[in-house]
Amino acid sequence: MRTLRESAVLREAVSWGVALAWIAGVLFLLMALVGAPFGEALSAFLQNAFGGRRLSYLMATLSRAALIAGMAVSVMLSFRAGLFNIGGEGQLVAGGLVAALAALFLPGPPLFVLGASILAAMVAGAGWALLAGLLQLHLGVPLLVGSLLLNYPIRYIASYLVAHPFRDVQSGMVQSHLVPQATWLPYFPGTRLDIGILFIAAASLFAIIYSHFTLHGYHARMNGLSPAFARTVGLPVGKLTLQTLAMSGAIAGLVGAVAVFGVHHRYIDGMLVQPLYAWTGIIAVLLVGMIPWAVPLSGLFFAAIQTGAAGMERSAGVPKEIALVMQAVIILFVASRVSGALVASSERRAGGGEGA
Amino acid sequence: MRVALCGITVRFGALTAVEDVSLAIEPGEVHAVVGENGAGKTTLMNVLFGLVAPQAGAIRLDGQDRRWTSPQDAIRHGLGMVHQHFMLQESMSVLENIVLCAEPAGRFGLVDFSAARSRLRRIAEQHGISLALDRPVARLSVGERQVVEVLKMLYRQAEVLILDEPTSVLTPQEKDRLFATLRSFRTAGKAIVLITHKLDEVMELADRVSVMRAGRLVWSGRLSQTSKEEIARGIVGGALPPARQRAVRTPGEPVLAVRDLEVAGRSGAVGPLSLRVHAGEIVGIAGVAGNGQGELIQAITGLAPALSGEIALCGRPVTHLDVERRRRLGMSYIPEDRQRMGLALGATVSENANAGRDDRRAFTRGPFLDRAAMARFASGLIERFRIRVGGPSALAATMSGGNKQKLVVGRELARNTPLVIAENPTWGVDIGAIDFIHGELMRMRDEGHAVLLVSTELDEVMALSDRILVMYAGAIAGEVAGTEADRETIGRMMTSRAHQALPEVA
Ligand SMILES: Nc1ncnc2c1ncn2[C@@H]1O[C@H](COP(=O)(O)OP(=O)(O)OP(=O)(O)O)[C@@H](O)[C@H]1O
Ligand SMILES: [Mg+2]
Repeated sequence: MRTLRESAVLREAVSWGVALAWIAGVLFLLMALVGAPFGEALSAFLQNAFGGRRLSYLMATLSRAALIAGMAVSVMLSFRAGLFNIGGEGQLVAGGLVAALAALFLPGPPLFVLGASILAAMVAGAGWALLAGLLQLHLGVPLLVGSLLLNYPIRYIASYLVAHPFRDVQSGMVQSHLVPQATWLPYFPGTRLDIGILFIAAASLFAIIYSHFTLHGYHARMNGLSPAFARTVGLPVGKLTLQTLAMSGAIAGLVGAVAVFGVHHRYIDGMLVQPLYAWTGIIAVLLVGMIPWAVPLSGLFFAAIQTGAAGMERSAGVPKEIALVMQAVIILFVASRVSGALVASSERRAGGGEGA
Repeated sequence: MRVALCGITVRFGALTAVEDVSLAIEPGEVHAVVGENGAGKTTLMNVLFGLVAPQAGAIRLDGQDRRWTSPQDAIRHGLGMVHQHFMLQESMSVLENIVLCAEPAGRFGLVDFSAARSRLRRIAEQHGISLALDRPVARLSVGERQVVEVLKMLYRQAEVLILDEPTSVLTPQEKDRLFATLRSFRTAGKAIVLITHKLDEVMELADRVSVMRAGRLVWSGRLSQTSKEEIARGIVGGALPPARQRAVRTPGEPVLAVRDLEVAGRSGAVGPLSLRVHAGEIVGIAGVAGNGQGELIQAITGLAPALSGEIALCGRPVTHLDVERRRRLGMSYIPEDRQRMGLALGATVSENANAGRDDRRAFTRGPFLDRAAMARFASGLIERFRIRVGGPSALAATMSGGNKQKLVVGRELARNTPLVIAENPTWGVDIGAIDFIHGELMRMRDEGHAVLLVSTELDEVMALSDRILVMYAGAIAGEVAGTEADRETIGRMMTSRAHQALPEVA
């Protein structure tokens, strides 16, 4: 048994080595093609993903990772329950928009305004997700379609609102006014990283506990594994659907609020859409096969790749397009490795379980 | 082609599924492999077919050592297998399913369907098989799917055919047709391996029998050298259970009352149907599969809506309640399809055992799961229903077919509800377990539960039922008291017209 496990570890190590060699090989080729210095580009990549003066780039990576991880956790809850909610973007926008508007117009002490606005954002996100759920349950619109289509109206509603009624005209940009400075999320002492990441960490923790340890999380997973089974044994499938969507949407709304109070301090048109947070979140979840504890790590990985590639472009003169191709190459190879390893480990567990 | 398995051993973690088994399969012979659930029959055949790599042992074809890297390898060397759980693409047509992975390429690499079609016609004709090639598989009955699987093997020119419990869900007529086909294969010199739990089939068809128990081969030889009783003793490893005595019992209040029920069916509406099941009686529904039994059960369980009519459970109308509420009111359901509806294969035994339990307090603390209590409950089922599995934390997918069935049956019967609906409850379980499950159903009846039994197995319906309803073309064609039932009468009702003889038994 021991030798079996050891050889499995060895095999794992070897295949990771092979994947890394491939990545290095392809990147080298790409850089040779555009004539960029390999060493310099690599150090620029690492520097920009994890370094910087007083680790400022690492902080930027973390801040981005928080948003991606938050969106990943949000879709993970849905996917695990077998609900193909790909409307995270709409729910995120709904949250961000409502957070900004609430903070601009709610009276009261800053801490109250902040709290109430975050809450309102979560309700907005949940509501937008529930809309897709109701469309499915009552009108028979498949969730995959309904949730995706609902991304568009909210995007344009948000654009309209910050372009017209609530626009900060003086700034000359399509954006809302700044939310009161007292409601901004503070930075961790001595850094430029806001404490929004703590909210995301809390949401991730909640999702992990919910998925593994609660009755509803268990029922949701049964539905995800086999909807026919869940129906046959009489799990409350409809309720489960709405409840799960509401939680997904609330977390997406929270991410929107964190982006407003922690990063941009206002709602800027496109600020939640263009960086593709929601879509990256979906890929991050698929990469680790919906295993809850791995989802935040996967989010961090994607953020690092993105900031690193951006840095390569800035400091090593690697053209942006090539940086993007490299990004894709890294993701592809790591993805193949990670999913392979997860499948193998779950097979091992299945075999081991027999003897337990 | 002569096949020899030599000293095959397969381990899954600490569990030895097959231990040092050697077996020869001769051309022109039907070789039956029998044994209790989890004995290792499927695993052994999976080795031969290249789906499982053995830890030790060799495969020899015509004296030559072979080592498969994948089932494709095995197929190329003339092996074919019909799996215990079918492997067909629901949305594709019969023709597409059959040529899948062995497509005849025409010009430009396009699939030459017309060539495939005419070749299939020839094969089907040769062995007396008839089937519409353009129907989507999703619309076929289980028996027809079986035929598709067989045709698939033939199309690939298999010389060695492995059939893993091919008859467990077939009606007697479908079984007879399949056996006629297999006889024709035997005459054509093919080697056939037949895994089954039905000893009558062994006696009827086999030339050679191998008995497995707990991973080992305990007996192997010609059928003429043994007897049905001896094989049965070999399987259970001891004496056979005595025949069951039915206690006389007067039925009580109606537990299930169905009135003028109509349900949408695959081919037109099913119904109107009316029936009652009383406390302390087993009502069996017999009929050729696809005559509305499935739709009736779906409507009673709440999985499909009723078009009209009323359903009452324990005196309360439930027509508009969902599955969950009906189950809470006192209904358990053993579904026909254990792979899709009965179990979540990707979840553990414990998670499967606890799904749908009403006494949630017993395995939760507030919103949280009490995993230890869940495992305890699952262990209880494993013990009581003699499920052969590593433990509560094993994945359901790794259980043998019969053990999966026992888990579903155990979970549902343990709920101890006034009404039990059982569809083919002994599908694929061994003779010992059939006896045990029948015993449990009888015990529940004697204790005053109502049991609605649907089975394609006429013997099962006749052995258990107090009353038998026969369904034909979406309606109840007749009712017979259990004590007066005989195969002839029921068989006639199943085809509904007395003058219309049973389908030709070739
Ligand atoms: N992939 C697997 N991982 C772990 N254990 C397995 C796996 N496949 C089979 N087993 C175990 O191996 C044993 C033999 O299983 P197998 O399916 O061969 O039984 P069988 O004789 O076909 O039984 P049945 O009559 O119920 O179909 C069982 O205990 C089963 O749980
Ligand atoms: Mg089997």
